[in-house]
Amino acid sequence: MTDDKQTIALGLRRRDPDVLDQLIEQYQQRLYRYLLFLTGNPALAEDFFQETWVRILERGEQYNAKSKFESWLFAIARNLVIDASRRKKFASLEDFADPETQQPFEPPDLHATSALQLLLSRENQQAVQISLLRIPAYYREVLVLRFHEELGLEEIAAVLAAPISTVKSRLYRGLAALKSVLTEGAA
Amino acid sequence: MNEDLHQRAQRLLAESLVEGIAASDQAWLGQHLRGCADCAREAAATQEALQALRGVPVTVPRDLVARTQLRVRLRAQEAGESSRSGMLLWVITAASWLLGVLSAPLVWRGFAWFGGHFGVPRLALEMGFVLWWTVPALVAAAAVLYQRGVAQGFAGQRSQRDSKAPH
Repeated sequence: MTDDKQTIALGLRRRDPDVLDQLIEQYQQRLYRYLLFLTGNPALAEDFFQETWVRILERGEQYNAKSKFESWLFAIARNLVIDASRRKKFASLEDFADPETQQPFEPPDLHATSALQLLLSRENQQAVQISLLRIPAYYREVLVLRFHEELGLEEIAAVLAAPISTVKSRLYRGLAALKSVLTEGAA
Repeated sequence: MNEDLHQRAQRLLAESLVEGIAASDQAWLGQHLRGCADCAREAAATQEALQALRGVPVTVPRDLVARTQLRVRLRAQEAGESSRSGMLLWVITAASWLLGVLSAPLVWRGFAWFGGHFGVPRLALEMGFVLWWTVPALVAAAAVLYQRGVAQGFAGQRSQRDSKAPH
């Protein structure tokens, strides 16, 4: 594992396109899923996917091989999403939630039937899965990192640049929110 | 059954998923769930919720990987070219400085001969000598600044283009 990290770090320092090609291939599913859960929008997730790898190329020398590569990858992707949300006048992921209604932020093209909803509706569990979009982005994010990516609490804290106590509290609230929307969806 | 026991079971259920619990707590929770239908239902609901989360089908769009790989390769190529031209500039600057140092005594002799032959004041000779040294460095610095300005201009244009791009 350490050797893998060292190889990746070396390849990134050299800006080796073959190493980057391999990483893009290897982490495509995980990164895209994280971005999709974070943004709730496939088009945005695609844009951020590409931007993330360009950023990895440009800042590759900053990866020190001490932490897992995926933690660093997700942190970079997350920062890009936050930067973009700031440019659009959202101060942070917390502000993805509408302050008036406390409903999760939905990009304009999600007001009708979103592409993600369409994508999900093709599956049998459509009602359950669409209801996941009602969970605020900052809960969806920790839930996917913990239960999909199976990152540890410290690793999630590194991705979020937040204390472990914040990660725990978001996970507890996220789990409660998940159960709540699924119960409502089933009702 | 005591209400506190149910609360403890709920707390341990959540804790076991988020941060893990001790083996003794795990054993207690298992025993409680076997005897309490409500808490067992709650535990099952939590597991179903997590299964639903894990079961969300996510398919990476076709050719996204190929498009990203191409974009990254082009960017790497662009960065490589910029780095090579920067390196060339530094090599030229260093060579120019070295030649300046090595040729300084000869140049000063030339200046002295010129001054003696045409009767130029010593102060003018010294200023000329200083300029002989500083002008190449100033030209090199101007070239570096110009190159950075051009690069930032391109980056700015690209960032504006990106922000205008439809999502």
